[in-house]
Amino acid sequence: MKNSTKFIIVELEGRKIRIPQGLTVIEALWDTGYDVKRGIGCLSGLCGACTVAFIEKGSTKVKFGLGCQKVAEEGLNVIMMPCFPSRAARYAMEAMAHPLEELGAHYPELYTCNDCGACNVCPEWINVAGVMKFAKDGDYEAAASRVTDCIMCGLCASRCPRSIAPQYVALYIQRALARERPFPPNLAKRLAQVESLAYETEWSRIAAMGDDELKALCAAMEGL
Amino acid sequence: MYPESLRDSIAIVDATREKRKGEALPKLPGTETEGLLRRYHPDYREAGFRNLRIGANRGDRTTHEIADLLEAFSDLDHSKINLDPEFDTDVLVLGGGGAGVTAALFAESMGARVILATKLRLGNSNTIMALGGLQASVHGDDSPVRHFVDTLAAGKFTGKRELVKTMVEDGPAIVRWLLEIGVDFDRDEEGNLATRKAGGITAPRIISIGDYTGLNIMKVLKDEIRKGEGIEVMEFAPAVELTTNGFGECNGAVLFDLGRKRHFVVRARAVILATGGSGRLHLQGFPSSNNFGATGDAIVLAYRAGARLEGIDSFQYHPTGVMFPDHMVGVLVTEAARSLGGQLVNAQGERFINELETRDACSAAIIRECEEGNGVRTPSGKVGVWLDTPLIEETHGTGFLKRRFPSMYRHFMRVKIDISKRPLLTYPTLHYQNGGILIDETGETTVRNLFAAGEAAGGIHGRNRAMGNSLLDIFVFGRRAGLEAAKRKYNVPGNVTLGHVYRYYDRLKSLRISSVATSPTLFPEFIVSKL
Ligand SMILES: Cc1cc2nc3c(=O)[nH]c(=O)nc-3n(C[C@H](O)[C@H](O)[C@H](O)COP(=O)(O)OP(=O)(O)OC[C@H]3O[C@@H](n4cnc5c(N)ncnc54)[C@H](O)[C@@H]3O)c2cc1C
Ligand code: SF4
Ligand code: SF4
Ligand code: FES
Repeated sequence: MKNSTKFIIVELEGRKIRIPQGLTVIEALWDTGYDVKRGIGCLSGLCGACTVAFIEKGSTKVKFGLGCQKVAEEGLNVIMMPCFPSRAARYAMEAMAHPLEELGAHYPELYTCNDCGACNVCPEWINVAGVMKFAKDGDYEAAASRVTDCIMCGLCASRCPRSIAPQYVALYIQRALARERPFPPNLAKRLAQVESLAYETEWSRIAAMGDDELKALCAAMEGL
Repeated sequence: MYPESLRDSIAIVDATREKRKGEALPKLPGTETEGLLRRYHPDYREAGFRNLRIGANRGDRTTHEIADLLEAFSDLDHSKINLDPEFDTDVLVLGGGGAGVTAALFAESMGARVILATKLRLGNSNTIMALGGLQASVHGDDSPVRHFVDTLAAGKFTGKRELVKTMVEDGPAIVRWLLEIGVDFDRDEEGNLATRKAGGITAPRIISIGDYTGLNIMKVLKDEIRKGEGIEVMEFAPAVELTTNGFGECNGAVLFDLGRKRHFVVRARAVILATGGSGRLHLQGFPSSNNFGATGDAIVLAYRAGARLEGIDSFQYHPTGVMFPDHMVGVLVTEAARSLGGQLVNAQGERFINELETRDACSAAIIRECEEGNGVRTPSGKVGVWLDTPLIEETHGTGFLKRRFPSMYRHFMRVKIDISKRPLLTYPTLHYQNGGILIDETGETTVRNLFAAGEAAGGIHGRNRAMGNSLLDIFVFGRRAGLEAAKRKYNVPGNVTLGHVYRYYDRLKSLRISSVATSPTLFPEFIVSKL
């Protein structure tokens, strides 16, 4: 450890403790001897496993974030959030002709949403309440296009007074939309070609080639 | 926010941008690339390697870190473990990333009973972290044959041809399956799958979902696995050893229940290892882009059971891992940043390699710059080179980076770095295990009833994996392994034993190999170098 390291005092899991500056909440927990495993996944802000709730120095507001991304600052009071239970419906989407029409059957609680906005705590900056409004109003494309970045951390669901799990509702819509889109023509064409053995002659030509011939072929292709 | 010492260096990047803009750096001729790699690529750093003294790959070269694990005893007392199976199933899948969940779904579709056990939460894996996309030859100018040739060339002609052929031929069909279960790939105006080119690929072949391809596929897979009754998911239950019967065939695994801190045994007619790669072993001290659980457990377990490994001396170092701020060290900056014109710039404000060279060449060049004193040093003593992201913004217009790379933009905004205005300090990060457990076209290893799929498997990518081929192979071979494993459901699994482990131990002892390491690793030590 370098001499220049500055130390700060934070309140970690309810205990005041001195840590080097610049650590994330997860690193601070490790550094102070907590054996954290459950709440960790990617360490890159992509998996949503490491949700934390915190109060910053001088603030009156509880905020939420990702423990692997939140850098601890002097006076921070922070705890890890347990994985919050969210109801995910069970369904076999392939059995539905028009899954979008059945959204209400699988997630009836969506329609009790009163736009309170409590779910707008998203670490991915998604306007979750806005997405739920689009979903309720049937503007599914608008809803889906806003949740590509949802990492399923469940923070939004943990705030909802109506027990709505916005991340699962949104996932249902994404999947349903994907299924209702026409099959991509370029893929259809390629599948037909593969099925009709269109590449067999080329395959047998290549199978007969030694590495050197293949290398020459590659070089030629690169030029194209 | 960047500290002052780095701001001075950024000023040089800003000052030279105009001059660099139109500059064309020719690609290196093959011989020079070869020389660059030999001198600077970590795979060639002989001091980092040794030859294995034991097992199916005895005499083969691998890194010290992996050799240590393969030549180690495990830290549990096997004689104290109760080997009476607590669970009995047809197919046991180990690992809950893309390969594992796909294998489980296909095995179940054949009527097999499936248990899927994974180390962390289901889906916490390298799969969700894949940003760029996956390769599938769907474009009109493309063909599976072209994909085959590109893949072999990227792997320096060391990939197994039959495996590569299988992967590229199954490609379009596996994309159809993903569409069917509701993966919403990006489309063009005509409703075609939108395709992009990338380094080393001769036709537009990368398909994606925004900036978050793996995540969005994994979300759907997790939703899909919940549907049926046939798959039991066990989270926080890493595998610590395989089991074998009297014939040396695999018939289950010992799992460790992280919550209750106890071991238990699952007996199965076939086992699929899909536990991913080994980035968190931090080979040769490199930072890593991988998830917390990527500790190379599969190769350790399979090797003790007698399986042959392939290409375990070859790793992919992604050229642009983050080097500042400290807590983001190792995190990936996607390749697309370079494809779209992001230049690599040293401390003098000079470019030093054509950014579209292959990953290994770019990485070697960055390491060269840093070793020769042309790197930029951070306050905590790390060294890297700049990736000129503001140049991308300038070229493609204001707001481009935020639109095109929302996640990356957001991650840096959290630490008050605006990547459209400030460059990123980068250095190669350990990214991918090119080799793994040798498989055949059905995904079976050289040990009967033991399958491997995904990053844990080896033989497909040769000595270098092309971008987007990993996300493809995990679904292709996950499916194949699942289907074939399901066929073994009428097998007689036989007695659950650790005979292979005892034989391995005896061999270690007779060779007088004593190791301080214990394996599998399961969890990386907290990377104290950061402090
Ligand atoms: C940051 C990043 C970006 C990437 N981008 C791309 C890309 O754009 N395109 C591309 O093609 N590839 C990309 N890759 C590579 C690709 O994502 C991975 O190689 C691939 O997803 C691996 O899938 P997998 O299912 O084999 O392993 P993983 O997805 O890693 O899953 C392995 C699972 O096994 C679990 N596990 C580990 N050990 C054990 C154990 N002992 N017992 C039980 N379970 C265990 C892990 O927790 C994990 O859930 C990227 C990788 C990273 C890290
Ligand atoms: S939408 Fe909800 S679950 Fe998704 S990232 Fe935001 S807060 Fe987390
Ligand atoms: S918290 Fe619940 S009720 Fe309030 S806006 Fe969000 S989803 Fe609707
Ligand atoms: S550990 Fe994955 S988001 Fe923090």
